[in-house]
Amino acid sequence: MLILTRKLGESITIGDDIRITFLEAKGKQVRIGIEAPPHIAVHREEIYQLIREQNIKAAKGDNIEKDTLPDFLEGLKKLLLKDQQEL
Amino acid sequence: MNIATSRFGEINVDESRIIDMRGGILGFEHLKKYMLRIQNEKNPFWWFQSVDDGKVAFVVINPFITNADYKPVIDDNDTKLLEIENTEHVVILAIVTILQNPFSVSVNLRAPIVVNAEKKIAKQVVLEDQTYPVRYYLTPAGSRDETSTTRDN
Repeated sequence: MLILTRKLGESITIGDDIRITFLEAKGKQVRIGIEAPPHIAVHREEIYQLIREQNIKAAKGDNIEKDTLPDFLEGLKKLLLKDQQEL
Repeated sequence: MNIATSRFGEINVDESRIIDMRGGILGFEHLKKYMLRIQNEKNPFWWFQSVDDGKVAFVVINPFITNADYKPVIDDNDTKLLEIENTEHVVILAIVTILQNPFSVSVNLRAPIVVNAEKKIAKQVVLEDQTYPVRYYLTPAGSRDETSTTRDN
């Protein structure tokens, strides 16, 4: 891992079009600004990991098949009808 | 063109309906082309089927059905990436996770799939608003997978 020391207000650049600026440090928290082109996805790591895992779970869906979906819907409807008029 | 899918068998794909998933879905970044499959008009659960890999499909739902006051904020970067000029053409889909044992159904409100329906461009957008959970359960608390090691936000 490349380790650099920067002062507040200073930046680092990654490639031609990514720039990270260190804005503020308060105790153990650091605020940084990130400029990157729209196709570069920037996420907090923990939320990135959580969503990734959830997507993988959803795609597996315990092998939900097309024919079983209406059954799930029926089960769900019963649960939801308690607080909603229709689904 | 025809593609072989694990759930629907061989299906015909109308190429004008293929959605270009910019950046892909997290965990499935290599898959860029999807199509929306509505099995039955009365069923609010739709399928978001990968065109590149017939084995990959997500169950999706219009999140406004489950959360009438849902207000996802799409930032400027994503608006630009999705070439959104008119919000009328924006369709929001939330990925549904259905687990059978124990039975639980949850909706990902934190990272919806935002579709520019006119231009057929989509992205899974991670919302800044941390109050929207990755797992918004439609099923009662008793039937959840409590062995999960991840937190809910």
